[in-house]
Amino acid sequence: MKSTRTSRSRILPWSVLAVAIGLAGSMAISSAIMLSLLTQAAIYAIFASGIGVLLRQSGVASFGHAAFFGLGGYIIAILLNDGAVSAETAVILALVGIAVFAFLLGLVIVRVPGIAFAMLTLAFGQLFYQLASNSRSLTGGADGMTINWPNSLFGVSFSTLLDQHVLFGICWVALVLSLAALAWLRHSRLGHVSEAIRDNIERASFIGIQTLIPRALIFAVSAIIVGVAGALSAVNTGFISPESLHWSVSGSALMMVVVGGYRLVWGPAFGAIVFFLAKDWIGDYADHWLALFGIALIIVVVFTDAGISGALNRLIHKKRKGGPANGAVAAVKP
Amino acid sequence: MLTINILNGLVYGSLLIIVASGLALIYGLRRVVNFAHGSLYMLGAYIGYSIALHSNFWAALIIAPLIMGVIGMLLDRYGLRLLQDRDPLSVILVTFGLLLVIEDVVQTVWGKSNLSLDEPELLNTSIQILGTTMPTYRIAVVVAGAAVALGLTLWLRGTRMGLFVRSASTDPTTTAMQGVNTDRLSALVVGLGTALAGFAGVVTAPFLSLSPSMSGDVLIDSFMVVVIGGLGSLPGAFFAAMILGQVQTLGAIYLPDISALLPFLLMIAILLWRPAGLAGNRT
Repeated sequence: MKSTRTSRSRILPWSVLAVAIGLAGSMAISSAIMLSLLTQAAIYAIFASGIGVLLRQSGVASFGHAAFFGLGGYIIAILLNDGAVSAETAVILALVGIAVFAFLLGLVIVRVPGIAFAMLTLAFGQLFYQLASNSRSLTGGADGMTINWPNSLFGVSFSTLLDQHVLFGICWVALVLSLAALAWLRHSRLGHVSEAIRDNIERASFIGIQTLIPRALIFAVSAIIVGVAGALSAVNTGFISPESLHWSVSGSALMMVVVGGYRLVWGPAFGAIVFFLAKDWIGDYADHWLALFGIALIIVVVFTDAGISGALNRLIHKKRKGGPANGAVAAVKP
Repeated sequence: MLTINILNGLVYGSLLIIVASGLALIYGLRRVVNFAHGSLYMLGAYIGYSIALHSNFWAALIIAPLIMGVIGMLLDRYGLRLLQDRDPLSVILVTFGLLLVIEDVVQTVWGKSNLSLDEPELLNTSIQILGTTMPTYRIAVVVAGAAVALGLTLWLRGTRMGLFVRSASTDPTTTAMQGVNTDRLSALVVGLGTALAGFAGVVTAPFLSLSPSMSGDVLIDSFMVVVIGGLGSLPGAFFAAMILGQVQTLGAIYLPDISALLPFLLMIAILLWRPAGLAGNRT
């Protein structure tokens, strides 16, 4: 397919451009508070992208992905406390573990219809919150646990890693790589197959598509991306507690996805960055932050169908072509 | 010992019946899973608390559900009815946004600390039942749950309006073509469902403390009830609520290490066996 090839060939230049702009931009910022805010935004942008791929490719919303976010941190923390493996192995084991676990779980839960799926993921996410809160000996219970990072990770000394500019740079590059992978996935065979299943599962199975495995694979991809965000957060904060598994974390991330718009690959990440910058901007009203964002969510869902990114995309295309946008936005109507 | 635990499971199951039947009713008519249902339950409990402070528990038990019923009707008229042509996911997200707003309202008005409400004097005793002593209030909760289950069943099976509700749950378009005003019916049913959430909130207030985190657990448990029972099925929800009440209570006593896992294992097992839930046959 020609269109697929041209779409894929755009991924590399855009990624290089995004990395360059992000890194150059961060060099110009000297405020430590701003950098730490942007680092957090980049981590949550990865988190949101993981939830976004599930919505984009499978058309289902997860209210429980905080489980994979926290699980990344917990697996690393527990393995490092145990001391049996090196930090590098711990990080890799955590990501592989999440991928395998999510695939197996996906085989079970993607079979339930969309609405029940949303409810199941909420319940499932809360299960991990309760497990982490209750197993005091393993996880330190509600107090959480400090992650005993060694002096260096993947050959880089930890003090360098924790330099604000370096840490932001790592998170930013990880974000761009995740988005590039998701853009590639969208134009891959798995991407096309999963969209066919999303649009009409009966027709897809009539034309001979195996419908269960691709959906479980998308679920696993979405979990592993969220797991990467969890591992980066573990480096950033050096601490993990049940709070990071709570359903309100999943809910906030899902809001970023929806407000940003999930039909475009960069939409959820954009939503996360808007979320953090707006939260910083409103400052004094931060106590009512979630309610304000809840209202924003309702407005976005009621008045747009593709979030901020979709609206921006339409605006750009209108200017460029002098007509209503078709392309990406219109083509992915569920 | 076993008797008292089973009775406590019955108490929690009865509470779940009241909350989950509201959720199932709203799903039946509007095909909406109301993520704000737990928050509405919490709001009902707090409104009941304020009324009880100014007058008494019995006034709270009647007035708070009425207020919640009006809120539910407004929610249907100015929310769900306008969104009925949107895809289910959008509506779920709107109710999720509503959840955040209600949680914030509750925290702003009543604060974040735990509040508690005294049992009414009439029920502030204990009675001997099956050889154990139970607080009368808890028995009253079981009676309330049974009354709600029985009342809803009689209403749906025995009255003309119940017939309309059942037919609108099966096929709203055809029902409307037969001359039933399904919009008014939906407003009534969403109002009733929300009033039941508020009723459950007031009933809970004397034996579980009020806190801004009280909505989450109940929301998740009642989700499990309606998923296990089969979305939109009331008998399924009643049955699942009773099972879940026992699993939660007995699990916490006899298998404390894995008690948090049990409801999920049960749910996964049932969904593997019947993906649409125990009573679910519709898609």
